[in-house]
Amino acid sequence: MSEAATPTFDFDPHIYKDADVVKGLQEKLATLADEIGRPVKLMHICGTHEHEMGRFALRDLIPESVEVLAGPGCPVCVCDNEYINMAIQLSLLDDVIVTSFGDMLAVPGSIPLEGERRGDVRMSLLDARAQGGDVRAVYSAFDAAQIARDNPDKEVVFFSVGFETTVVAVAAMLKRGAPDNLSIIEANYYTPPATHLLPELDGFDIEGFILPGHAVTITGLRVYEHLAEQGIACASGGFEPVDVLASIASLLEQLRDDKAIIDNPYSRLVKYDGNEKARSELHEVFELGPIRWRGIAEIPESGYKLRPEYQKYSAARKFAGRLDQRALAGAEHPKGCRCAEVTLGQIRPDECGVFGKLCTPDAPYGPCMVSHEGTCRAWYLYGMHKEKLNVEVA
Amino acid sequence: MSKSPEGDTPVAESTSTRSSAVSRYASVRLAHGSGGKLSLELIQDLFVSTFGGNELAELTDAAVVANPGGRVAFCTDSHTVTPTFFPGGDIGRLAVAGTVNDLAVMGAKPTYLTAAFLIEEGYDMDELERVVRSMKATADEAGVAIVAGDTKVLERGKGDGLFINTAGVGFIPDGVDLGPSRIEAGDKILVNGTLGDHGIAVMSRREGLAMGASLESDVAPLNGLIEQVMAVAPNVRFMRDVTRGGLAAVGNEVVLNQAWGLRIFDVAVPIHDIVEEYSEMLGIDPLLAANEGKVLMVVPDDESEAALGAMKAHPLGREAAIIGDIVKKPEGVALVETAYGSRRVLEMPIEEQLPRIC
Repeated sequence: MSEAATPTFDFDPHIYKDADVVKGLQEKLATLADEIGRPVKLMHICGTHEHEMGRFALRDLIPESVEVLAGPGCPVCVCDNEYINMAIQLSLLDDVIVTSFGDMLAVPGSIPLEGERRGDVRMSLLDARAQGGDVRAVYSAFDAAQIARDNPDKEVVFFSVGFETTVVAVAAMLKRGAPDNLSIIEANYYTPPATHLLPELDGFDIEGFILPGHAVTITGLRVYEHLAEQGIACASGGFEPVDVLASIASLLEQLRDDKAIIDNPYSRLVKYDGNEKARSELHEVFELGPIRWRGIAEIPESGYKLRPEYQKYSAARKFAGRLDQRALAGAEHPKGCRCAEVTLGQIRPDECGVFGKLCTPDAPYGPCMVSHEGTCRAWYLYGMHKEKLNVEVA
Repeated sequence: MSKSPEGDTPVAESTSTRSSAVSRYASVRLAHGSGGKLSLELIQDLFVSTFGGNELAELTDAAVVANPGGRVAFCTDSHTVTPTFFPGGDIGRLAVAGTVNDLAVMGAKPTYLTAAFLIEEGYDMDELERVVRSMKATADEAGVAIVAGDTKVLERGKGDGLFINTAGVGFIPDGVDLGPSRIEAGDKILVNGTLGDHGIAVMSRREGLAMGASLESDVAPLNGLIEQVMAVAPNVRFMRDVTRGGLAAVGNEVVLNQAWGLRIFDVAVPIHDIVEEYSEMLGIDPLLAANEGKVLMVVPDDESEAALGAMKAHPLGREAAIIGDIVKKPEGVALVETAYGSRRVLEMPIEEQLPRIC
């Protein structure tokens, strides 16, 4: 695969908040959909994309024959139970402070929440905090390191979750010298190997991928060439409405012309080879290994694990003797929850039996309704499961 | 009380460097809430001397106040904020402005306030004094009198610094009748300025994020602005102060079970540049962020321009805007229309907003 092709339609990637540009793209999509003349399914693999789809109601602007599904794009939704259970156990130890991103704190693992009335409800870090655990939300790994410096008589654990973008900052923090009382739970995921698997799933009928704009600034686009080689159209996608629509236009254009390349309409930020400096720093600290994706499978080479010289920062190692190892594993999702299928784009959130009934953002049941990156939450909050909002004025 | 809080109050030997202090103590003690000598001292030297007024100085069990006539609006609100002092305000200003605004949006003229303090043992006396002075300044700005109060001191560890409850009484002039039932399709929706300033300013200070440094909370009493608007737009249908949960919370409360819908045009909503940047960076929606000096008004179409003009003429309404309208359908729904013509539900906030990961 050579360099990215330039979209043939008239599009200046630097004008990204212009309503006229959006209108132009909307018309372009309608024309392309007509030219293709059959229903088409596309997928994005980034929680922020689904959020923007909701916030700007972008499905209103896309032709009806084009369906855009959300794939595995929510790092806290695919974060394995084992890590959540580990963080909960650690937070309940007297001498341990557990830190993580706000989003991670609310996601349940598999430890049952005693005395809960709503059914099969599991404990999250917030529940652990309510039971006396010292759990703190942070904005970055550097904040966790600072907490460790400020609390030399405590052990501070950073629950490191996220995709390529977040793990870079963790590597930078560890490389610059972290305090000895800091350790991390290694729950960072690398997405390309998971996208390898998607086309092998039964009934897979996605014809194009919107590549995750943030993550590919680090990884580059080359790592997705396997998709194009399998005949699936690919285009980088930014997060403004213009970016998302331009990405869809690129995919439709490829489908119309019966080709599959790696296009880069989000070229104002994404380079085909990504950010080599960030990657080299990342790979000094982490190496790829197998990791379990919650409800999906263990996928080889898809998890960032500390290299041997950094394993003194591994919480799993440091606390091996103090963790109840048997209690770490557990049923992946509560009864009736179809998060795994939602995560893989096999069903829409409103096809899950508990969506909007037993499972709502104020009383979430599965991880996809808890996390702000989760597809179910975005659907519920932005009313994407509801009928189109037709306005009648006075 | 004749003593000025700035004056020559006697100061104990141990704290002689604190020349402007009103109390002999550097921090609040349990005895300051016990009803004994120290309580009386705190009440007289700090509260009565700062708030002034005959009703309070009498130190009777209840304040006896004049009744200027009209229906009575009566409300209460408790306040807690971390940090106590934030860019653009503090818990004292918040406690007074919050209750004044609750009365003013009912069409009432806010007149009397009470103030109850729950103070954690060990709370810094200078800080308490700053808070109390800030309350007085805000009460003066709003033209209300603080006529009664109460102080309790909680054992250390049993309260988070300082809580303030204020209750307020206001009088509604004859002929003023506001409520969601008066709203009709075609009415316009106005706000008096940029949304989300308070929430983002407090969050940036609490989390130590530098980019919010030049942003200030909008906390302010709005009764003056509201009076000015009602003078030129007497048929204002409904008002509500936009506080926690932001525009999204108010919008959803207003439409609940109504036979009309509320439409917000997102490009028309005034948002401060810093709030916009910060929100985009952290994945927070400014429509859900808190305000403490903003009012949402539903105004008949033919009075909307006059109302907007009156808002803009007031210092607290320079960036006022018409941000939406009341629509016949969809019923009972608050929606946002984007610059691109697409529409989404304006979601009801679920919990405090936390920054997303990526």
